[in-house]
Amino acid sequence: MVDERRTGWVLMVVLVGQLVFLAVQGSRQGHTVLERIGLRVLGPPARTIAGLPNNVSGLRESLRSRQGLEDENRHLHREVEDLKLRLMQLTDVENEAQRLGAAVRHATPPLGRIRAVDVVYVDHASWLRTLVIYCGDVPAEVNQPVLSADGVVGRVVTVSGSYAKAQLVTDRAASVGAMLLRTRRQGIVRGGGRGSGGLELDYVPVQADVRPGDLVLTAGIDGIYPRGIPIGTVIAVEPGGQLFHKIQLAPAVDFGALDQVYLLEHEPVPQKMKEAAPSARP
Amino acid sequence: MHALKLLAALAAAVLFHLLGMHWLPALANLVDVFLVIVVLYALEGSSLAALFAGLVVGLLHDTLTSGPYGLFGFADTIVGYTTARLAQRLVIQRSTGVLALVSFAAVAQQAIVAGLAFLLLPAPELPNPVWVAVRAGVSGILGMTIHIATINWRRAAEARRRGRMSRLRLG
Repeated sequence: MVDERRTGWVLMVVLVGQLVFLAVQGSRQGHTVLERIGLRVLGPPARTIAGLPNNVSGLRESLRSRQGLEDENRHLHREVEDLKLRLMQLTDVENEAQRLGAAVRHATPPLGRIRAVDVVYVDHASWLRTLVIYCGDVPAEVNQPVLSADGVVGRVVTVSGSYAKAQLVTDRAASVGAMLLRTRRQGIVRGGGRGSGGLELDYVPVQADVRPGDLVLTAGIDGIYPRGIPIGTVIAVEPGGQLFHKIQLAPAVDFGALDQVYLLEHEPVPQKMKEAAPSARP
Repeated sequence: MHALKLLAALAAAVLFHLLGMHWLPALANLVDVFLVIVVLYALEGSSLAALFAGLVVGLLHDTLTSGPYGLFGFADTIVGYTTARLAQRLVIQRSTGVLALVSFAAVAQQAIVAGLAFLLLPAPELPNPVWVAVRAGVSGILGMTIHIATINWRRAAEARRRGRMSRLRLG
């Protein structure tokens, strides 16, 4: 009886301690020591398992004949040639844009470099939505954008050694400064929630012209993501409240097919620039 | 011995979860193998041990989620303690009792996590009730299967031990 009473007190202390721990976490910036330890423990087995074939067909795929691999190699060579040609054309366009920009002294932030990293764990199906990546010798940084070839995946929220956890853009708590490509109208993209796997574009006034099929890109106004990265496509526009449209987006990225993503290494907006301006003094 | 068993079970659960998520991404919706470990451990251990087992397993589970760190730690602590107290008061002999207990624990855990998320997050996303029910059912079946397998394994081990003892006596 005395033991049970003591256990009851231990339970109360543990629960209150955890509640305090949860309450003081505040905005999740990846400074939880326990979480970093957990990530260090679970990262290596997750990485090993991520290297296994995806399913039975994947296993068959990995045991394919040499002929199949040669065919694929030829196909990829052709694709590389096409892409080289396309790159040459785009380099011309880029040079022209730079010349025009220089003529009007247009200052643009540098685009930054991308670094490929492996996805070792992804849970995009449940309401928990998690992505763990292996970054190798160069660790990721908190708030570093995570991209795929198709568009925005999310941002890094926790770093522990070679591993990092990313918040997906489909997370209900995630938000990205966005703009409609066709009209340049800006808004905020949020995770759709309720297991929809979709996105919502908020704060677009009802007067704005929005149509299904419109492409939505990052606006470069949130201090995290640079401008011009695809986020998704408008699939439905409904009358929302009195002021803003209710816009549904289909994400540009297929989160179920992520095995490698890119970390964008660029200089974010300095923290002191994001802080509130000092009040005016007489 | 209990701690070693818990560690082994935890390692198996992590392996099961990671492999499952790799081959079947919807697994996280279907079953909570971490909770099954907590409940099965709580059925055998003291309430204090079950409390700490729930805490450790829950925090490990939190590492694999994107919510505030500690949601599952909190919920699994309560689930572990409550299950152990229930097991001390009720005699759970049938495997269906384990199924019911694990299923109930799964629903309770989801309710606690959702409640905490509602209190702590600005825009909480509550789990889909259908998936909560599915998850509770599948977790219950998994718990029952492991329970039956453990009982059979113990019986077989006991029979082997008796066989060895009788041979020794005869010899």
